[in-house]
Amino acid sequence: MHVVVVGAGLAGLTAAVDLLAAGAEVTIVEARDRVGGRMHGIPVSTDVFADGGAAYLGVKHTELLAMIREYGLPLASTGMAGHSTFLMSGARTTTAGRVPPLDAVALGDLFDRLEDLVAQVRIDAPWQTPQAGRLDRQTAARWLADEVNHPDARTFFPLFIGEMMAADPADISVLHMAFYLRSGGGIRYLNSFEGGAQQWRIDGGSHLLCLALADRLGDRVRLRHPVSTIIQDSESVVVQCVSAADGNPVDFRADRVVVAVPPLLAQGIDFRPALSTPRASAATGRGCAVKVHLSYPAPLWRAGGLSGWSVSTDGPLLSTVDDSPPDESAGVLTGFVTGAAATTFSAMPPAQQQEAALAHARRLFPDLPPPDRVSVTDWPAEQYSRGCYAALFGPGDWLRLGPALTTPHGRVHWAGTETSLEYFGLMEGAIRSARRVVAELIEDRAPAAAALEGVPS
Amino acid sequence: MNAVRIVEIFRRVLGIQDVDVNSDFFELGGDSLLATRVLSAIARDSGTELLYDDFVDDPTPEGLFTKVAFATT
Repeated sequence: MHVVVVGAGLAGLTAAVDLLAAGAEVTIVEARDRVGGRMHGIPVSTDVFADGGAAYLGVKHTELLAMIREYGLPLASTGMAGHSTFLMSGARTTTAGRVPPLDAVALGDLFDRLEDLVAQVRIDAPWQTPQAGRLDRQTAARWLADEVNHPDARTFFPLFIGEMMAADPADISVLHMAFYLRSGGGIRYLNSFEGGAQQWRIDGGSHLLCLALADRLGDRVRLRHPVSTIIQDSESVVVQCVSAADGNPVDFRADRVVVAVPPLLAQGIDFRPALSTPRASAATGRGCAVKVHLSYPAPLWRAGGLSGWSVSTDGPLLSTVDDSPPDESAGVLTGFVTGAAATTFSAMPPAQQQEAALAHARRLFPDLPPPDRVSVTDWPAEQYSRGCYAALFGPGDWLRLGPALTTPHGRVHWAGTETSLEYFGLMEGAIRSARRVVAELIEDRAPAAAALEGVPS
Repeated sequence: MNAVRIVEIFRRVLGIQDVDVNSDFFELGGDSLLATRVLSAIARDSGTELLYDDFVDDPTPEGLFTKVAFATT
């Protein structure tokens, strides 16, 4: 069996390596000149890379942890020792604990309501959740306006959804919000560093894992091969690329194709015959995350008893995290510009982005010198990702797209973190989607293989 | 409202049974997000809205009940 995998992100690479190990002939085509997709190392200082995209993991990410072990990569803990910094409507405070200095009872009420929603979701089939139609039609912003009155809860909610999902609440359905929070292990788990989904990073950058996987595949990885068309008939399937190297069309013929790109990119491929269910709709949004890395000679904020964690009501850096290497050879603060703020920030020219980030850093940490370097990774603007952390399912999407999320289109199968109901949007979801798609292909092949080898079936 | 009622709130929010009136919320694995849910539950039960600083000051059912009782007298 020959399989062409489209997209050399974590899902595509994992599927390709597993298929190769299962004895398949594999080619993996990738539009960019690098592997890794939304896992990308950004040089922030001499020999120090920060995670431009996906970064964090925790104990529940069992497939990812096993793979990290298999490839011998070290983990770095995301320390949260010290006080948090908050900029609330211009007022700066530092306190213990990660919840902003807003009305605690109002925030607790908000979390109670979110917990109630999360508990309702049918995680094995979100589109069959009780009252799915209503929850799928309503935006998270509408839900907040209707259900939550306290101004502090209304202030906090978009910050929280931005941090959890890189979403503007106006762009996602209530069902998607509740599903995402449940899929990632629950609100508490997703929100926590120690003991939660942000317990560790891969030391040196998460892209190292993708490089290690690509290493196993060797010249089966074809970079700079964006896919335009996938044509199939009863005999085989042809993936048509246009080589970015010389502009020449390149065709790959296979028995099966695995499309492992985000839904908005999959929807952009010309399938012949056409898809019976779309991969994305007009309501499907780009994950709105821009990451801004501020490089310092060392984690200087620690001397002042600060953790580097901050939350601000006014952008651009709605939250910051200390992502310094464990040996403290550099100080790295990662600023998250998410949701509506990301749209505004993304539209600025680079010089203005730099100035806005520097001004924000000055307000947050007035005792620190300016960073040596400001690196901006703008995911919504990335042609071959169209957003990060993950696609945002807008009103109507779960009912329309959900039931066919993993249903093959003839010889075309689907992978990618957005096809995983477990850990949707996370690295763990990408790996689990690859394991699921490989199982599909191996099952498909079983009768033919048995016949070939003369094994009675 | 009494301290035993706050023990029940701790148990529900933390999802564990091994809580008594002197258990420290943060030593039981609680974090600031869950603390806000304890405060909202206390407010619903007793009508008293404690502050996050009140919580951190003595994060035990007994300590929180003392503050509720003090606030309502």
